Amino acid sequence: MVPHMADLSEFSHAVGQSKVVVGKLKEKEQDSEMVMEFKPAEQQFHALPRSRADLHPLHSHSPPSLSLPRLRQVDDDAENRNNEEFYDPLRVPDSNASPAIVDDQDFESSSSGGNYDSVQAQTKEWTSFKRFLMQRFPVSKMISLSSMSSTIVRGGKALEKTSTSMHLEELEDPQKSSEETAKVITRQEYVSRLHELKDEINRAWNAEDRVTSLKLSIKVARLLMDTSVLNFYPTLFVLAADVLDMLGDMVWERIRLKAEFAEDGTENFGASDVCTDAKETCYNWFCKVGSIQELLPRIYLELAILPCWRFLIEQPSEPLHRLVMMTRGLADPLASSYCRLYIAHRAQKLPSYDTGYFDQTKDIGYLITCVNDMKLVFTRISSSKETGNGCFADSKRSLISLMEPAIEFIMKCLFKDVSLHSVGKVLVELGLGRSQEELFGGSSSVSVILYHILKELSTDLVSCHAVGILHLIKCSNDSSYDQIFLFVEQCLNYRLLGLRLSEQISQTDAVDAVLNDVIQVVSQYGLDEYLKVLDAYLDIILQNQMDGHLKAILGRISELACDKVIADDELAGLQSILVKLLSHFKDLEVVFSLNHFLEILDLMHGSSRSIVNMHILDMATRNGHVRDPTTIQLLFEISQALHDDFDLAHIKSDDNQQQARLISRFVLMVDHGDEYERHLAFLVECRGAFGSITELKEILVHSSNCLAAKATKDGKKHLGFVKSCIAFSEVTIPSISGHIKQLHLYLETAEVALLGGLVSHADGLIDSAINCLQSFDGMGGSRAAVDSDGILSSIRKLCSLSVMVPGDPEVGILHIPKSILSLINSQPWSPRLKTRIFCAIFSLSATLSQERLPYRAVHPEVPGNDLLFFGDSSYVHELLSLTESVLQNLVDVIELEPSRVKYFQKITNVNIETSFFLSIADLCYAGLKAARGTMSLEACNCIASSFKINEHVLPVCSKLIETAKSCLSANDRYLISTISILDKNLPPAAVSPSIAI
Amino acid sequence: MSTARVELKLSRPNRIYRPSETLQGRIVVKAASSFSHYGIRIGLTGSVNLQVRGGSAGVIESFYGVVKPIHILNNIIEIKPSGKIVSGTTEIPFSILLRNPKEDNLERFYETFHGTNISIQYLATVDIMRGYLHKSLSATVEFIVESDKADLLDEPISPEMVIFYITQDTQRHPILPELKSGGFRITGRIATVCSILEPLSGELTVEASAIPIYSIDIHLLRVESVLLGEKIVTETSLIQTTQIADGDVCRNMTLPIYVVLPRLLTCPTVFAGPFSIEFKVAIVINFQSELSRLYPKSDPKTPRLWTAMETLPLDLARPR
Repeated sequence: MVPHMADLSEFSHAVGQSKVVVGKLKEKEQDSEMVMEFKPAEQQFHALPRSRADLHPLHSHSPPSLSLPRLRQVDDDAENRNNEEFYDPLRVPDSNASPAIVDDQDFESSSSGGNYDSVQAQTKEWTSFKRFLMQRFPVSKMISLSSMSSTIVRGGKALEKTSTSMHLEELEDPQKSSEETAKVITRQEYVSRLHELKDEINRAWNAEDRVTSLKLSIKVARLLMDTSVLNFYPTLFVLAADVLDMLGDMVWERIRLKAEFAEDGTENFGASDVCTDAKETCYNWFCKVGSIQELLPRIYLELAILPCWRFLIEQPSEPLHRLVMMTRGLADPLASSYCRLYIAHRAQKLPSYDTGYFDQTKDIGYLITCVNDMKLVFTRISSSKETGNGCFADSKRSLISLMEPAIEFIMKCLFKDVSLHSVGKVLVELGLGRSQEELFGGSSSVSVILYHILKELSTDLVSCHAVGILHLIKCSNDSSYDQIFLFVEQCLNYRLLGLRLSEQISQTDAVDAVLNDVIQVVSQYGLDEYLKVLDAYLDIILQNQMDGHLKAILGRISELACDKVIADDELAGLQSILVKLLSHFKDLEVVFSLNHFLEILDLMHGSSRSIVNMHILDMATRNGHVRDPTTIQLLFEISQALHDDFDLAHIKSDDNQQQARLISRFVLMVDHGDEYERHLAFLVECRGAFGSITELKEILVHSSNCLAAKATKDGKKHLGFVKSCIAFSEVTIPSISGHIKQLHLYLETAEVALLGGLVSHADGLIDSAINCLQSFDGMGGSRAAVDSDGILSSIRKLCSLSVMVPGDPEVGILHIPKSILSLINSQPWSPRLKTRIFCAIFSLSATLSQERLPYRAVHPEVPGNDLLFFGDSSYVHELLSLTESVLQNLVDVIELEPSRVKYFQKITNVNIETSFFLSIADLCYAGLKAARGTMSLEACNCIASSFKINEHVLPVCSKLIETAKSCLSANDRYLISTISILDKNLPPAAVSPSIAI
Repeated sequence: MSTARVELKLSRPNRIYRPSETLQGRIVVKAASSFSHYGIRIGLTGSVNLQVRGGSAGVIESFYGVVKPIHILNNIIEIKPSGKIVSGTTEIPFSILLRNPKEDNLERFYETFHGTNISIQYLATVDIMRGYLHKSLSATVEFIVESDKADLLDEPISPEMVIFYITQDTQRHPILPELKSGGFRITGRIATVCSILEPLSGELTVEASAIPIYSIDIHLLRVESVLLGEKIVTETSLIQTTQIADGDVCRNMTLPIYVVLPRLLTCPTVFAGPFSIEFKVAIVINFQSELSRLYPKSDPKTPRLWTAMETLPLDLARPR
């Protein structure tokens, strides 16, 4: 029947319920002069459903899963990082120039070229590809123009140009003006000029001036001849391609309208269905485009109107193949790559058809030619000899990275929808394979191209032919003149192969062979490349339990990494590898025992190290307690490193909170078993080390309280230790911000002190708690209103605790309830809260009036109040006088309410932002009334269960019932049951008709 | 006087007719008020206009001027006798057989061609006679004549390809010493007989070149010859340049030659008594050279120190 002390804490969690039920015993005879009498106790015991207070120090079980969110965020981060790396390991030039984000909203061409199933997807893909192109290459603000781009210079802006000179310019040989000084305009100007040109083309078209449209489009296409703008070229391409797409769509639409079949809107037509007139117009367009002198604009313009071939011939594959061949005439590698990209893009506008070349619906022969031609271009670039220019290799590198998107897009188109059977043919055609049987037996390949093929191949194919692919990577010989370059490219390919293989880790022997090869190759690499490549293979190594390899790798890494400053790239590599290890092994001790793991960790620094540390902490605390002293020391150091790191940042970011939470959790999970002193020392150490984490300090207090409770249960010998724990808690609590938090912790500590029989400590702590309550003063009323449930439950808890605290005659036996009472009157709390606190004090007094208290302190040396004071008339007197004043206060509060309700009615139209009114402003009038009724009933119930209903109490009850009646409907169930309780408890003599309804 | 306008509209949007066919169309008269006329006539004319200018070839010093044109067609047909045109739009259809079978003495119907010295043109003119007080209303359109199928050769045009190679030794003009010493070799094949409806096709490969290539262009040339007294005056002019390589292209990569023949500016090769129209194709390789900047506006026909070229005859024919 007597609740264990630990259960008391649960009251604080059973927030918002009105009844703190304490058992009552039959009371002795009362003084005749007493106006109020405590009610005799009933034998029944009522309690609310309880929930565990796991964190409470008095809880007997070991503290278990504190619901801490797993390190999801960190994991995600790591994954993201991996993903990024997967797509672009080295390839994104991390330049500090601003990315060329051009507003391309109005540049989206409305695609009306076709209405096929995949058109939507293609358009979307193209749009995102365009965005990617524009953002990938950072562009400096200024662009110097060569003479070829003079279209872009507005008349009279950069050079005074008369109309005749403009005219001449169109005719003149491109060589002519190359001696002119280079003009420079801003990127923004360039872009807006292109927008203008687009508008002009549109305007001319709508004005039926198609010749002008065509001429301007040719000018736009001609801009693509100038590749001196380098990093701007992709953006330029996107803008120009948009203009040309638009022109192509307009021409298509015009001819489609001329062709009579268009009436039914179908897109499936043959050239034979098209009327002569439409054919004639179409042929004219091709003639006009064909007569453009320069090669590049001629190809682009024909590509723009490529879909129109369908009006003339049944299968426009011949023109497509021819255009691919014509592109060979563009010697500039950049211009030709993007031209091929445009071919791949425009070819998508053609319907699928079977050429018999491959046993599939789409002709991809032209794409294969594109790739093979590009292969030659790449080989040519990388084998070109060093000229006088020192940064030749650099410029080669950036040139190739500029060309990469083209090869990437073409590969995507090429391998899209290629059946498994045809892949073999494609690979043979690309020169990778010697035959269908030997898909990767070719002797030479260009690593950049190989990279993108490898990216597109199916996982199955990659894992089946891993050895062959490895051989190809090793043999890639495109950069025979540039060892560094070749090396970087090969490194990328090895890495990609690893990543692709990891997608589907097989158990075959091939994996062994591949790994042996790879490890042998990378053993000559520097740290950065070594990490990049092996990071990709780590999953395979771990999953196949190749411990020998793992050991060797870690050894090699520490060998490479020591005695050098580790660069950012390398840190990222280390981080990725260590995180992979951590997530693979479930047990932290296994990871720590790996050779070189800690060594490598020590070599790391900065955010990478923090991330690894966070993973370690997460792992350490995920599976319960941390008991091993070495591990604890290690984790403590890790936590310290983590803490130092974010202390520097000083930003209250989410990241820091995550770290704080992890450290706190670690401290919570540390368990030194029976070595209490050591644990306390650890806590002290933690307080010193992690002073800035509030959350942690709470945990420290909890832990020290738990420790004290544990020690107390162990016996008397630890009294000194318990005192130190309590002292530790007491000192720590004030540094925690938040009064409610402090309050809870004070109470908790007080309970522990009581458990240990340290009454004076408990008294002091309860005083501190009350002081805490008092300091609510300074806070705004609205804040108090928000926390009112918390305050209420704390005060209730305080009340239930003071049942056990022996009264101190020096400060007054009822010192605690009295302080609470005076506290209430000084606070601007809501009447509802006040009512409930008064009720709690009633219950407390009623409990204290009993001969045997329902529960008592466990410690034998702490005497119960019943033993100390029961029967002492001054004690009973004091109790009654307390209750009387409480009753008065209670009645006052409830009586005050109507005036406030009325006042509220009056002022609802006036916007007074007093905090007090704000707290009730969101209640409507009816709600207010109902609340008041409930409040009265609550008070009435409490009075009825605590006191005998005599002539002193009855009027109060009647008054409360009246109030409730005026506020609630007559058949309110609470009202009815309260009345019936009252009736039951009425002394037989005093049955009053005023209460019976 | 009220305004009235007349227009000639031909039945075919491309205005191409063959001599054995009828020229069909409508005479469209838009009149603000009705008026009377003395007859509506359509006149068809076709002629070869020849002129000789002070030739660049320097063959002719003193001759300059127009040689008497050759009339192919001169036919006036009355579509309507005198009458009245009501106000508003009036459409009068007509249909005229181009070659009058009775008049066999006429010249051959050469195909329409617009060149520098020779121009073969066919015109249709409508005249609405309105008496002496008013100017007659008239309008003219050009129509294009293509040879009758019956007049064309029976056998299909064989795509005759000629293999060419261009090296430092095949050049008939002086070239830069470094070109001479470094050497180059460009080979390929190109059609020398070509249907006028098809593009000129072929292929070209740069096998070697010590000096980087600046560009490779295909020049389409016309050769117009006019008989002037005893002499034949010939002038070669450039019709169209088509670039097939821009920059120093990869060696041993086959580049396609694909030249769309411009309409009107080309016609089937003609050898008539008083004149002839022939075509040539020139493959011109420009090498990168500082010198080229000094002569920015060179005549593409003139061989330069930094160019190599090969000129081949081109026989254009209309397929059946």
